[in-house]
Amino acid sequence: MNALDRALLVAARELAAERRHPDGLVAALTFTGLLVLTESLAFGPGQARQPGVASALFWIAILFAATLIASRSFDRELEDDAIDAVLVLDGGREALYAGKLVAIWVVLTIVALAAAVLSLVLLDLDVALAGHLALIGVLGIVALPPVVVLTTLLALRVRARVALVPILSFPILIPQLVACTQGATAALSGDASAALGWAGLLAAFALVYGTLGLTIAPAAFD
Amino acid sequence: MRRVPENAAVPENASLNDVTVVFDDRTILRGISLALAPGLTLLRGPNGAGKTTLLRALAGLAPLARGRRSVPGGQPLYIGHRPMLLRGLTARENLAFLAAFRGQVASDVAGALRKWGLGNEMDRPVERLSAGQRRRASLARIEIEQVPLVLLDEPFADLDSDALVRLRAAINTALVRGQAVLMATHMHHELDQDATHRYVLDDGALREV
Repeated sequence: MNALDRALLVAARELAAERRHPDGLVAALTFTGLLVLTESLAFGPGQARQPGVASALFWIAILFAATLIASRSFDRELEDDAIDAVLVLDGGREALYAGKLVAIWVVLTIVALAAAVLSLVLLDLDVALAGHLALIGVLGIVALPPVVVLTTLLALRVRARVALVPILSFPILIPQLVACTQGATAALSGDASAALGWAGLLAAFALVYGTLGLTIAPAAFD
Repeated sequence: MRRVPENAAVPENASLNDVTVVFDDRTILRGISLALAPGLTLLRGPNGAGKTTLLRALAGLAPLARGRRSVPGGQPLYIGHRPMLLRGLTARENLAFLAAFRGQVASDVAGALRKWGLGNEMDRPVERLSAGQRRRASLARIEIEQVPLVLLDEPFADLDSDALVRLRAAINTALVRGQAVLMATHMHHELDQDATHRYVLDDGALREV
């Protein structure tokens, strides 16, 4: 069994557990929906449907959702020390990081689709470049979780993990958040070249932090 | 009790060499050296002596401040105090995942769980099983994940008399297969007489008795 097979095996295990007890998904959906709703009310309908504001609201909600999903995922691992059964295996640490990442991408995609529909309907957004917007969406979902999962690992044995993970990860994620927001704003406004530029930057972030995570994760579990 | 055959399959013994483990500025293990030949090795010691840490060091779960760990033939099977099963999955799914990860055939999982009296429970999520049933499911791994070294931390906890008989049979089978079994326990049990080596761990130091 190679490293990819092992990671996919962990992802399948994670998704099976999440399907039976969708705690992370439900928490993320509820939180994201409420955040989009309340922030759009706070800004007022006129301002909230501005491309820059709508994009920022959406991606802030997705960032918090990624944190919630990762946190719940590792809570489940720590119950009954289930994580140790994987860590002890050859290649278990890398597979646990990569597998969690894949599973979180899947769950976060569901949350992002729901949040996107809510934003489009609630704010009655005009989308100038739907394909570019979808590209930014996919790359943003891929680029944000590597850092969130890595910081969750680093804080795994810390009691104040729920507070510590955002404190550790959000400063690192500011560039990704800016790229997501600016890319989505460009796509909503019809600026194709700017949207593609931000998409390229997001792809680079995903590659760099994904690789970095795979390199650091084995040591981070200790 | 059947003894380990002379052609036991472990090419080289698993060992710790001058291992020190420190947590939060407290030294848990002090310069421990231990080699595990095929057969049953018992590890005793009072609560807090460091038995679990020694097993976790052999499993690669405790970072070593000093010394070296060698586990030839692949990572050991480590079964700790707690069941180490993921909630949300059934007992069968948990064990099949772990067997598949080791690249072993998972087809024997149902049979092993039936042997442990979980024929009707294997497809229930583990959080709906009793503590004893979860423990049984965890120990059924001994019969599925056949690796040279088996580490058992207080395996008698939560077990009824039927499960104790099953555990003894599973350990016997492992020994016949030529596996090395290290068991940490503070209980005296009929398996004591079958041990090839006995150690006592006290205040982080190990001595053979």
